[in-house]
Amino acid sequence: MIDPKNIDYRKLGFKAGLEIHHQLKSSRKLFCHCPAELSADLQKNPDFTFHRRFRAVMGEMGDFDPGMLVEVEKGYLVIYHANDAHVCTYEMDDTPPFWLDMESVDTGYKLASLFNCESPAEEVVINRKQYLDGSITTGFQRTMIIARDGHVQLASGRKITITNILIEEDSARKIKVEDRGRTVYYNLDRLGVPLTEIITDHNEIDTPELLIEAIKMIALNLRLTGLGRRGIGVGRQDVNISIDGGDRAELKGVQDLSLMTKFCAHEVCRQHTLIDIQSQLASSNLKKEEFEHNYIDITHLFNDLGEGESAFAVRLPGFEEILKTEVQPGKDFGYEIFEKCNLITGVQYDEMFHSGEMSPGSIRMMNRSDDLFINKGQDGEIRAILKLEDGDGYVAARGSEKPVLHTLKKTVERCKQAFDGVPQETRRVLPNGNNEFLRVIHGKGRLYPDTDTPPAPYPMEKFQAIKEKGWTRPLDLLEKYQEKGLKLPMLELLIRDEKIPMFQKLVDEVKVPTSLAIRLTVEIPRWLRRKGYDPEIISQFSIISIAGNIMSGKLQAKHLRPMMKEICIAPKENQSSIVTKWVDQNNKKDEPGDVKDQWPDDGRCCK
Amino acid sequence: MSEEYQPPDGYRGPLLQRLVEAKIRTWSVIQVNKTDGSHYEGVLLPRSIHTSDDYLSIKVDTGYNIGIQLPDDATIKEVGYNAGSYQIPEKIVEKTPGLPNVTLLGTGGTVASRLDYRTGAVLPAFTPSELFSAVPELIDICNLTPKTLYQILSENFCPEYWIKTAEAVAKEIEGGADGVIIGHGTDTMSYSGSALSYMFQDLPVPVVIVGSQRSSDRPSSDGPINMMNATTLAAYGDLAEVVVVMHGTTSDNYDLIHRATRVRKMHSARRDTFRTVSDTPLGQIKDKEIKYFKDDIRRRSPKEDFHLNTKMDERVTMLYFYPGMEPDVMHAVLDKGYHGIVMIGTGLGHVGKPMYEALDRAQEEEIPVVIVVQPMFGFSHLRVYETGRDMLARGVIEGKNMLPEAALPKLMWALGQTQDVKEVEKIMHTNLAGEITNREPYSGFPIFQGGVPNFYDNYKNIDRLKK
Repeated sequence: MIDPKNIDYRKLGFKAGLEIHHQLKSSRKLFCHCPAELSADLQKNPDFTFHRRFRAVMGEMGDFDPGMLVEVEKGYLVIYHANDAHVCTYEMDDTPPFWLDMESVDTGYKLASLFNCESPAEEVVINRKQYLDGSITTGFQRTMIIARDGHVQLASGRKITITNILIEEDSARKIKVEDRGRTVYYNLDRLGVPLTEIITDHNEIDTPELLIEAIKMIALNLRLTGLGRRGIGVGRQDVNISIDGGDRAELKGVQDLSLMTKFCAHEVCRQHTLIDIQSQLASSNLKKEEFEHNYIDITHLFNDLGEGESAFAVRLPGFEEILKTEVQPGKDFGYEIFEKCNLITGVQYDEMFHSGEMSPGSIRMMNRSDDLFINKGQDGEIRAILKLEDGDGYVAARGSEKPVLHTLKKTVERCKQAFDGVPQETRRVLPNGNNEFLRVIHGKGRLYPDTDTPPAPYPMEKFQAIKEKGWTRPLDLLEKYQEKGLKLPMLELLIRDEKIPMFQKLVDEVKVPTSLAIRLTVEIPRWLRRKGYDPEIISQFSIISIAGNIMSGKLQAKHLRPMMKEICIAPKENQSSIVTKWVDQNNKKDEPGDVKDQWPDDGRCCK
Repeated sequence: MSEEYQPPDGYRGPLLQRLVEAKIRTWSVIQVNKTDGSHYEGVLLPRSIHTSDDYLSIKVDTGYNIGIQLPDDATIKEVGYNAGSYQIPEKIVEKTPGLPNVTLLGTGGTVASRLDYRTGAVLPAFTPSELFSAVPELIDICNLTPKTLYQILSENFCPEYWIKTAEAVAKEIEGGADGVIIGHGTDTMSYSGSALSYMFQDLPVPVVIVGSQRSSDRPSSDGPINMMNATTLAAYGDLAEVVVVMHGTTSDNYDLIHRATRVRKMHSARRDTFRTVSDTPLGQIKDKEIKYFKDDIRRRSPKEDFHLNTKMDERVTMLYFYPGMEPDVMHAVLDKGYHGIVMIGTGLGHVGKPMYEALDRAQEEEIPVVIVVQPMFGFSHLRVYETGRDMLARGVIEGKNMLPEAALPKLMWALGQTQDVKEVEKIMHTNLAGEITNREPYSGFPIFQGGVPNFYDNYKNIDRLKK
């Protein structure tokens, strides 16, 4: 495995694309009249519950989507928790959709103009995108393309292509899983909240740094324009990654940008190793056909199996070394297979074993040796029973017969896939930077036009009017205030805290230096919040008055924190008298200093 | 391009003209470029009739569909061709000796439906054998022989179809079927089920009507579970009645067995829409296990006595009384020569005084008027109030606690047997197939019967109601 801390991304042909999901501001859900808001407590006792099972159905072009068939193999029982305030029979899939929320569609076209889309959908067609994990009660998400062929401009000068902007309904929130992952619980409050999906070209971003920059810039645009909803959990992104010779892996749940580089590095390691295994196999005499679904019963070797449990093993010709190959830090190829089996069949890691794990240097021995359910003697007997030859490996599993055989079936299939290199998969990122199989990547076969809602023409004059009105984008602000010392990280804070209007008022009208404006709008309010005060109590008028007093030398930098803290805890009507008090005290003690010394206008103060 | 050119489906007017000029077909991969710089590529899909004439429907590379316009100065060209074919492979299954033989008669409806490009909505289009392929679990339950009778939505059923269906069922029973399933749209299930109930004499095996509230082209469809439960009942149930088997709750948990003459669709969309009215359901089916809730169920019997009586007089109509209803509505019906009327009266079965003259005319012309009740639950009682007695004096026939859906086909059937009003009244007052019960259990009323566990307790917890 290559060193994850030392990767030359461009040389390996690293390519990444984004799917950014962000909830939209709206007064109702996309297809019903429930409020578009979440219940306060996910774990709260539901008003009612119900359960469902899902099946794969064909896409419009008459194909079963392979990803969907794997989903059905998991055989989930899905239990829904719902409360009366946020869920109606629409979210229960017990009433057809109501007419879609046109406010959200308008927002979609605003996004299309914000991100410079050249090709709008002139008639919005509602599509069904299948999801069989239970996150949507219908088994499909209602989703529509609003526009295509756009871009977002980054501060570094790069332009990132936005291929599609979609509007869709958000999915339900997962509460927990039980029964070895076979039973999944969801809360239905989030289902149906309007969401946008902004997709960038999968082959354009070529370094993790650029990826982070693009995510941040798209998020800033959504926040500055107020089109996106604010709050915790309103946005999430999936990242598509490939390297030369590899294939698309869709990483889900990449929330923490500080881990982004690590996520990218570990996925690059994995693809690099899988490509390596592929070329090893190509240069060997091994053929896919040699892998047989011939599961041998080895139950008699164990005396500690539970009631009704059995053990089986399967021979994997020429795979002894490959199973041991490290694909991501602390994870070998065998374990990569086990992750997939566990998710699909529910068989646990300590119920699976591969032939490379008995050796002292193996990853299992180093990390989880007490997991092993096979001892040296049994290993030898299994090798004899399976008639292993030099270089052959095997996988064994124990538990209920059906999931065990299913595990060995998935194992053989995965080994055969190794001949083709990197499989297209949707993968879930883990806290250690690694990722694991979630599902086969969804294809076009899972799309189907929604038969419940006819297409909705969108007047292009309306879109034209939106475009003509134009937007102030984050980079416009950066350009405008750059000379006054505004830098991108500060702009990010100003936008995130929704302080742009106040900042502009202070800089443009009160003529305060940028550094002072940042201090008053971002730094001190954030400090106050950390101390447990609510800085939003401080009125605009008070802030402007404070700024004015600083500019005229009647107040100094050192007064700001204590004074603003005092304002936070005082009754609202006393705010101006507190400012006056501080001005009076200051005038008694100190000589007014030169404001220019304290607040240079070249941005030196702003970190 | 060797085949003869066919214009694309569903397009009209000037847009169709443009497409024909450019030799664009359905499933052509097209490229459209407009002067404003917008550009599109995708597969041209058929267009639905009830939508605007001005848009092309295309499927783009991501699999999504969008609509676009084609202004005069835009260019369009075909760059490829990609036909879809939506068909589940039909499955041929060998019979397993020892398993019961069941026939599935498909009539259409959402239990077997899919996308219709003409309207963009769903259309009954799967053959029963396609459906069978989609629910392979059925193979293990019994030897199931799927046959297609019709492919219609249930609102397009009519008495003629009831008769044909009865004949088809009889043929299967005589041919050795241990049970018959009818795949049926849910909207008019209880009409068909009631009509069949009167036509079958000494029915020897279960006749199970089944459908789905979510069409079978959806991953969440209730159809597969309903179908499995219906098959279980048809194959193994010790029951010889016409019944409806549908979801008992909104969960994919169990199905309820409803007597066809007592069941009603109570919600336009929910899966647990079917409820037995004024009685308890006959039983439930869960995970291939049948549990009966009642004893007065007609059990399987020898086939020797089984025969059909399909004589029906279709000239029967139904009127729903409302405050202020004028007698002219009923006169119009009588003028048109209808032979019988089911009147749905208020409360215990009343109509307003102005209607009396029309009732008088019906009596004089010997046209039976059968009274059933708008409250749905409970009996018609025309002796409690003055109005009721006035109505009885005008010869109306009390429909007891028949549901309107059961009363209408029954009156047709009764008039098929005799034209003598007194004889018709006798038939209408006789319980033929559970459409009349002489007592009503307490549990016959709650509409959430068999519904959500602890529903009422949960209801108390809803914050809004506490205030």
